[in-house]
Amino acid sequence: MQRNSRSSRILAGALALPIIGALIAGCSSTGSTDSTAQSKEPVTGGTMVYASGDAEPSCLDPHVGGNYPQALVASQYLESLFTKDANGQIIPWLAESTEVSKDGLTRTIKLRDGITFTDGTKLTAEAIKANIKHLKDPNTASSTGYLAVGKVVSIDVKDELTAVLKLSAPDNALLESLSMPWTAIESPKALERDQATNCAGPVGTGPFKVKSWEHQKAVNLVRNEDYVLPVANGERASSTAYLDGITWRFIPEAATRYAALQSGEVDVIDNAQPDTISSAANAGLGHLDAPRPGSSNRIELNSSKVPFNDVKVREAFIRAVDANTGVSALFFGTAKRSNSLLSSVEPLAYSDESLFTTDTAKANQLLDEAGWSERDAEGYRVKDGKRLSLRFPVSTNQSVPAEQSLFEQFQAQAKAVGFEVKIDLLDLSSWYGALAKHEYNLVSAPYTKVGPSVLRVLYHSDSTVPAPSGYFANNAQVKNEKLDKLLTEAEETEDEAQRASLYEQAQKIVLEGYYVLPLYDQQNHFLYGKNVHGIGTTTAVSSPVYFDTFLDQ
Amino acid sequence: MCTIAWAGRKVGGALVVLWLVATAIFIAIRLIPGDPAEAIMGGPGSQASAEALAAARAEYALDQPVLAQYVLYLGKLITLDFGTSYSLKQPVTQVMGEVLPNTLWLSLLALAAAWLMALCFAAAATRSNRFGSWLGNLLEIIAAAVPHFWLGAVLIMLFSSALGWLPAVDNGSAQGLVLPVLTLALPLAGFLTQLMRDSLAEAMGSQFALAARARGESRLKLFWRHGLRHAALPALSLTGWAFSSLLSGAVVVEAIFARPGLGRSLLSAVLARDIPMVTGIALFSALVYILVMALAEGLERIINPAGDQR
Repeated sequence: MQRNSRSSRILAGALALPIIGALIAGCSSTGSTDSTAQSKEPVTGGTMVYASGDAEPSCLDPHVGGNYPQALVASQYLESLFTKDANGQIIPWLAESTEVSKDGLTRTIKLRDGITFTDGTKLTAEAIKANIKHLKDPNTASSTGYLAVGKVVSIDVKDELTAVLKLSAPDNALLESLSMPWTAIESPKALERDQATNCAGPVGTGPFKVKSWEHQKAVNLVRNEDYVLPVANGERASSTAYLDGITWRFIPEAATRYAALQSGEVDVIDNAQPDTISSAANAGLGHLDAPRPGSSNRIELNSSKVPFNDVKVREAFIRAVDANTGVSALFFGTAKRSNSLLSSVEPLAYSDESLFTTDTAKANQLLDEAGWSERDAEGYRVKDGKRLSLRFPVSTNQSVPAEQSLFEQFQAQAKAVGFEVKIDLLDLSSWYGALAKHEYNLVSAPYTKVGPSVLRVLYHSDSTVPAPSGYFANNAQVKNEKLDKLLTEAEETEDEAQRASLYEQAQKIVLEGYYVLPLYDQQNHFLYGKNVHGIGTTTAVSSPVYFDTFLDQ
Repeated sequence: MCTIAWAGRKVGGALVVLWLVATAIFIAIRLIPGDPAEAIMGGPGSQASAEALAAARAEYALDQPVLAQYVLYLGKLITLDFGTSYSLKQPVTQVMGEVLPNTLWLSLLALAAAWLMALCFAAAATRSNRFGSWLGNLLEIIAAAVPHFWLGAVLIMLFSSALGWLPAVDNGSAQGLVLPVLTLALPLAGFLTQLMRDSLAEAMGSQFALAARARGESRLKLFWRHGLRHAALPALSLTGWAFSSLLSGAVVVEAIFARPGLGRSLLSAVLARDIPMVTGIALFSALVYILVMALAEGLERIINPAGDQR
């Protein structure tokens, strides 16, 4: 085993890191004019009230299940082995260093010394072992975390602070996977409790800890008085959070959430809607725009059935709609049009605008060529007596009103060239049901994972095979041997330049095959009151951490 | 009619209704597409392994024949065991017990507020002129027709955002209750006033009222003694219905004002396909409905012992 170039670069990156303020995981606070945050002297004290519009998690341990609402709250009391710096590079966090064997099958992780969990347990290599075991245990019912550590077959504890992970295949995305809150490290002692108890109060090393959980109302977090910041932050190397605590409330109604922020009943809200964001700027409220990593928000075209099994029809649909105008008008300038499969915070994102320009003349020509040359009485194209009809199930839980309006615009634009688009607004279960039964031609499904390896989850032909629950991630049903090979090699290489090149080739195949219409980054918008300062530090999945945050007293 | 026989008939009827409701829920749940085991393993889209799903099926007896499941289900219901919530992994009765007081308190306050408002409006209506009566009638109809969702949003905009008088979300204080109670009470008050005013006007203008007035009885006394009794009867017989409408209104109001409660539990349980939770709340609501209806009928018997030979 030897230290290769990749792990040394990571170490160098960590040492070169000047202050943790730069750890704003590639999320510039666009629209935010928080100049007071820098000039203001931080004050200790006060309880911040955070209002989430996401569903209340059924378990506060993000190992169980593994969705974004869990990541948002867990980032306050749990920490990961790795995280992302301002340039989108992965750096060690609870880990101190890491190295990988030449064959890529052995990954050694050394932990920082002197960190303890809030139950007093010391952070040791045993914790890594217990956590990965917990993720892989079917009874934990982990989804995101389970997939992330899928290639880890065994964990050896070499010494108190060193764990050696054996992999079934090389996985250069492992550190990215271990930077996510869904693989965060919890106290092994706490993990031994039964699941219900652990769900109600997971024990981590974060700047806050869970004090109590009042169902449907709030999770009460208090400051971890013994917090040790893993990576030095100038003068704040070993200090604790400024806030006494956070009241993490659940306010499902967007209008109520914003009214509560305006009246000062709450300090920060998430899931801010585009129209609210633009009016908040006028009201002098702060705005943090933290796009999620992984995939962009996009419409996928199901290539496994008529009519999208014909690339000409796929291109015709994409050329028929005008996403640029729709996005800028409906999102009030809060979302930037994407022409990439990956989020703008992913360094390896490849973009090609020319593929997605609107051209109705070309759309009509392509449809004629594809044999959809006749039209019925209602103006829709027909072929062999069948109408050019598309089913578009839309999840009302995942799609904001502005996005639903955008889809309606697409519907009208596609009609002009002869497509019939049937939009079905569905609850989440019915929506998954429609996908599992392949009752869709178009679909918009979010997927958050750190790093370009999300491409393998979404576009490798393996992902067209449903899990026992019926779930599959490759909604576009891309089956391409060359692409499969590229994605596998891209995950196994330890050469950074080669990795970038392989992922670029892979993205080109998907984009140029017109399987996907990219729209914009996954939206993560936070609004905060004038009394709130120092918001901006985020985890690798762009979930804010309130370690640096303080309130006017 | 003997009171004991009446009560016995009520209890018997209630049991039959509960059994029918329970059966309807059981059938409806089997008709919903989707695998309950998937809901147990963390909801739709969960990537649970085959063995984890099998374990979940065995744990909740979903691997048994449908008839066996039905018998098992009824057997548990008889012992008031609603099972364990899929999403919260806690006994349904425990979850319901935690949030029930919030919803009951909200509903009872709203019912009281609605009755109070209705009485005032109805009393005022007996003294108003033709235009006033027309205006009152219009306002009642509007109040009765507005959806809770819209009313709640308007009240928040007015009293929280614009005036800053009242909190938009539940903060544990009494002020936090004002807007949710108003949101629930106003439509109901509009409806009750409609019911009361005609019988009140009729009573106050009737021969015996005139006679009483002639004997020198004050208008207020007349209103309390006679008018109210007449006006209250039709409204009272609808209070059972009104109370259950408050429970369904609570689903919306609890979501808007971010209050914990039975309604919000129901909403999230439906979204998570949490079958035991949905069953528990639905059965409980049916039980409350039956109880309140019986109570209202009993009260009616007390207020109006002569009865209408109904």
